[in-house]
Amino acid sequence: MRSIDERRSSDGFQWVGRRVPRLDGPEKVTGRTKYMTDLHFANAAYGRVLRAAHPHAIIRRIEVSRARALPGVICVLTAADIPGLNGFGIIIQDQPVLAREKVRMTGDAVALVAAESEELAEQALALIEVDYEPLPAVTEPLQALAPGAPPVHEGGNLLQRTTLCRGDVARAFAEADAVVEGTFETPRQMHAFIETEGGWARLEPDGSLTIWCPAQAAYRDRLQVARILGWNPNRIRIISSPLGGGFGGKDELTVQHYLALLALHTGGRPVKLHYKREESVVAGIKRHPFRVEAWLGANRDGTITALQARIVVDKGAYASLGPAVLNLAVEHIAGPYKVEHVAVEGLLVYTNNGTNGAFRGFGVPQTCFALESLVEMAAERLGIDPLALRKQNVVRRGEVDGAGHRIESSVAVWECLDAVERSSLWEGRAEWVAAAPAGKLRGYGVACGVHGVGLGKGVPDFANAAVELTAEGRFRLLVAPQEIGQGNGTIYAQMAAEVLGCAPDEIEVVQGDTGQVPDGGTVTASRGTYAGGMATVNAAKKMATLLGQGAPPPLRAEGYFILPQAAGALPGIIGAPHHVCGYAAQAVLLEVDALTGETRVERVVSAIDCGRVINPTGLEGQSEGGVVMGVGFALCEDTLMEGGLHRTRNLTTYILPTTCETPAIETIAVESCEETGPFGAKGIGEVVMVPVVAAIPNAIARATGRVFRLPATPERVWAAMRKEAQQP
Amino acid sequence: MISFTVNGRPAAVAVPDAKPLLDTLRDDLGLTGAKECCGKGECGSCTVLMDGEPVCACLVFTAQARGVEIITVEGIGGGPEQLDPIQAAFVAEGAAQCGYCTPGFIVAARALLDKNPHPTAAEIRRGLAGNLCRCTGYQKILQAVAKAAEGRAD
Repeated sequence: MRSIDERRSSDGFQWVGRRVPRLDGPEKVTGRTKYMTDLHFANAAYGRVLRAAHPHAIIRRIEVSRARALPGVICVLTAADIPGLNGFGIIIQDQPVLAREKVRMTGDAVALVAAESEELAEQALALIEVDYEPLPAVTEPLQALAPGAPPVHEGGNLLQRTTLCRGDVARAFAEADAVVEGTFETPRQMHAFIETEGGWARLEPDGSLTIWCPAQAAYRDRLQVARILGWNPNRIRIISSPLGGGFGGKDELTVQHYLALLALHTGGRPVKLHYKREESVVAGIKRHPFRVEAWLGANRDGTITALQARIVVDKGAYASLGPAVLNLAVEHIAGPYKVEHVAVEGLLVYTNNGTNGAFRGFGVPQTCFALESLVEMAAERLGIDPLALRKQNVVRRGEVDGAGHRIESSVAVWECLDAVERSSLWEGRAEWVAAAPAGKLRGYGVACGVHGVGLGKGVPDFANAAVELTAEGRFRLLVAPQEIGQGNGTIYAQMAAEVLGCAPDEIEVVQGDTGQVPDGGTVTASRGTYAGGMATVNAAKKMATLLGQGAPPPLRAEGYFILPQAAGALPGIIGAPHHVCGYAAQAVLLEVDALTGETRVERVVSAIDCGRVINPTGLEGQSEGGVVMGVGFALCEDTLMEGGLHRTRNLTTYILPTTCETPAIETIAVESCEETGPFGAKGIGEVVMVPVVAAIPNAIARATGRVFRLPATPERVWAAMRKEAQQP
Repeated sequence: MISFTVNGRPAAVAVPDAKPLLDTLRDDLGLTGAKECCGKGECGSCTVLMDGEPVCACLVFTAQARGVEIITVEGIGGGPEQLDPIQAAFVAEGAAQCGYCTPGFIVAARALLDKNPHPTAAEIRRGLAGNLCRCTGYQKILQAVAKAAEGRAD
């Protein structure tokens, strides 16, 4: 198989598909890049947030007079000081900006302080008296659904029920040659972006408000802040790029609303908030823990015929993007397989376990773990090679997937599995397993997966971009999706350069500033390259037309892109189906210590159906980063909570993979060419971490025994090993 | 006043002895390359050199820097136009993504190669094990440091 780079040399593009080094590279490696949390303003005020003392309690009284009287304190704000809506949330505004009558998690904000120094702000927090009446904490989603459980919100603890039903599962299971089942549980993964939430805000002399804050959706943040202030959004400017990592964790409001409220009370002085990691852990969203009880039926000939599942999601205290996460999980629970009989029920349940929201993968890693474990179990039961079984069942263009959606866009998941099968990892797997040293057990595992691109059916989804030619003769590209690490600024410049006939580094790329860029939606949902790229290409084409007409600078051309929606619908599931999806197949070699249950991932091969590659280095960067995030999810990461309180409080006990744990990763680009995307590209930012979370437990199962709960810590692997050894 | 050398230049600051060196560098000296991520010496984002030794600046009191030579990422290489070989390799390999951890990695890698100019792959892994990155999965970072050690200019 020819490499990405070899194929690139013959396709006629000058910049698309090339390893163009990141335009922001030199600034980043020299420490010159100014993140929002690096900014410093003279005459600054320093903010702090008072958090709830209990995971679930009635607030009887808040007394701030002693805090206000402390010399050096500029303002102390409570719910009474909110001019507009005391609520936020991307879908449902059920989270109070500042709690008034009740707290539902220890991350709830109760009061805000601005002072002359961070130390004084901290002292002022200690002087705020809050009289609580503690309520029983709701910490188990299944118990939260039981009659008589204390309600987290007035409407009860079931926030949403999503179902998907097609065919006749009862009959299909009765007729299946093999039925496998399991209950699969997944961790409360932390985004663990290296830059914690923070930023600045300032009330400008003209009465407008400027907020500097790393964020994934500046225009939507502006709308949410405007609602809270009771302002016209046009009075607010949000500068949101670059981010020191996000992964979904900066998709919801983080500190923007607190900064805005404080800035209204500091007399025009710039105000700063920057969370310590401990506050980020308590206040920030996490990945929703899932409990997936599932059954899979298959026939002797290898056809997967039926899937039934009941998903129970720990929502935590507030909705945020949870409803959309559950819907995507249900849409993709059958993976890329042509299962004809499917019955899924998903329940989204409020608890007092902090709060959860968007996280790379958006519910799909959780269900992929369940599905791909069952596929492996079925293959074993039927005596069929697991990779062959997958190849036999995956969907091709024009066919109907397990959700009942006919695929009318690019799909190359079979080719991804084929690429894995031909890889040196897969060809040498048996030899590697047989060569296990004394005291070690070795296994290999494979899985495949799918992830939608964009917000899906029925949700408005568009992007705008503008290209300017300045009077000095320099191109500027103005595009909304923020630089969050993935290098989208560079690939936008590559695309624009391809159209304009200049070099990428001759284009200044401006991202994520509502004062400069047109609304281009969020940098989420694997949509950055696809949506932002199409808007960029369309704007650049208009600029090329203007230039062709001999128009003199300065010039400005605008382009837009409305994401195409699937022809069919999945009734009752907002956002489903997705017209365009990224696909991937991944395989791992893994070693288990027979005494301790410790695991080590030795090698990974990651084959990705990405449409056309725009920048191979960028694709590998996503693939490698996604794989290692998946390794963490599968093997070591979990935010532990007890009684609604965080036991994991910092990276000292939240275990992330390091250079010593990272495996050798080979990325294979499977280029399917998506005709609706820029130069044939589509989004893969999330699917890169999906299959690996199941390939790892599948490898553990082959080496020792199967784990049903992630992360597969040494204790859990050891227990699985013992159970396997005791079986007759 | 607490006096020390930063990136070859004398510095004197009037701050409390116990102020973390990281905060002094960032707030008082305008050197924001070193970042705070955990504040517990767990992530390496604030790595600087003290007399050539890599330390987590979040765990060092400013008073401990008295009379010491500090090197931050800003003192490695000659800026974006004149990169240190490690920095150049990071750019060429795509080893920086969001970039927030990158300064810590550059400083730690510089310390590693200064002591051990030709490390094995395992020595590079161990030498950088105190630095966390959430974007890259580390492979390109390891490749970049190996490349810099081999003196490859491509």
